[in-house]
Amino acid sequence: MSETTRPRYLIGGLSESSQKAQPLREEVTLLFDEWRAPVMRYLLSLGLRPQDGEEIVQEVFLALYRHLSAGKPRHNLRGWIFRVAHNLGLKRRQAGGGLQDWNEVSDRQSDPSPNPEEALAAAQRQQKLLAVVDALPEADRVCLYLRGEGLRYREISEILSMSLGAVAVSLSRTFGKLARADK
Amino acid sequence: MKHLTDVEITMASDGEITGADAARILSHLARCEECRARQAEIEAAMKAFLSERLHISSGDGPRALLRAKMNEAELADTGWQRTAVIAAGLALLLLAVFGTGVFETPVEARSLPDPVITPGAALPLTARDVCAVHETEVNPVVPQAVAYKVFASYGIQPKARAYEMDYLISPALGGADSINNFWPQPYSTSVWNAHVKDALEDHMRKLVCSGELDLAIAQRDIARDWVAAYKKYFRSEKPLAAHVNFTKDRAWE
Repeated sequence: MSETTRPRYLIGGLSESSQKAQPLREEVTLLFDEWRAPVMRYLLSLGLRPQDGEEIVQEVFLALYRHLSAGKPRHNLRGWIFRVAHNLGLKRRQAGGGLQDWNEVSDRQSDPSPNPEEALAAAQRQQKLLAVVDALPEADRVCLYLRGEGLRYREISEILSMSLGAVAVSLSRTFGKLARADK
Repeated sequence: MKHLTDVEITMASDGEITGADAARILSHLARCEECRARQAEIEAAMKAFLSERLHISSGDGPRALLRAKMNEAELADTGWQRTAVIAAGLALLLLAVFGTGVFETPVEARSLPDPVITPGAALPLTARDVCAVHETEVNPVVPQAVAYKVFASYGIQPKARAYEMDYLISPALGGADSINNFWPQPYSTSVWNAHVKDALEDHMRKLVCSGELDLAIAQRDIARDWVAAYKKYFRSEKPLAAHVNFTKDRAWE
């Protein structure tokens, strides 16, 4: 049998199940492209190292692929992705996954072309805000980072198994602290 | 007038107020300058926090890795592996009964790797990372112990200079030093041999580094079916004459 006609087992294979799987792989790849960076940021906020974060992101999206392959619910996939990432992240941390030294991380978003005075002021402001965030109780910090990634309060409450009211109180307390530090 | 709480203001700013409270809170905000000032402070804090988020670098490499894992998962889920195990068991049984003469189709005839043994693996690198290193600096030799393991997994008796221990996704395209990315590729038995694949790898790297081809797509195409990738990128149904004896990587010996 020539190479071009022998059965193929990767993408584009001949089996019916492979043909069905291909659009699903494309869908999961699109979700990966959209949500990898937010999920990575969230995992780093849990204190995980980048290499652990990358591994967990892979696990999350592979689990998503299996979840969808099995015909399980598609309702609120964004919440599902973060919930699985949160659980795997905590598990990795408990298993002794090394923690990120935040002093090593400097690749934060910033104004690309400030003048020296603006750059100094921005750096000072950043230090103040980071100090506030670092000093937050973990539950508040986690709520804040999920909110930062655009999740709705209901999604946050489901991911963290908190009441909706507790999420609102946590966020308002945190934004209050940030606002005081930013004055 | 009783002012709004920080919780109500935060929820209003986040668009999280619903139901009966919505009208009361929004109308209060419209009338109360003090609460609006507090809302402005809270929103400025939100904005400041969001502007300080970490920047996460491109996901080209991780995307290719995920796709390889999904391929692998799909194979396992469709029961192909189970079928392969049963087939291997039957083969061993026939071998025991009839001797080695039964199996004339050599494993060596492969032009494509076994996708279960070698799904391909890539490092989490961007095109910029990959192209920043000169091609000649990313041509590592697979350790002998690993090479023997790969030969064993393919059921091949190692033969010096007959194979290239090939990276399915080449290091020059961000391929990883992983057993999932190695396969014994014959030089001699097929039109689509190791010489031809070397030429393809060279060409694809040039396309990636000139910005004409996305790295993740290059990794995906070469891992999926390098023969199809050759036809696609060289627009030729057969190996070009210049590529038949093209040699870049060393033979295994």
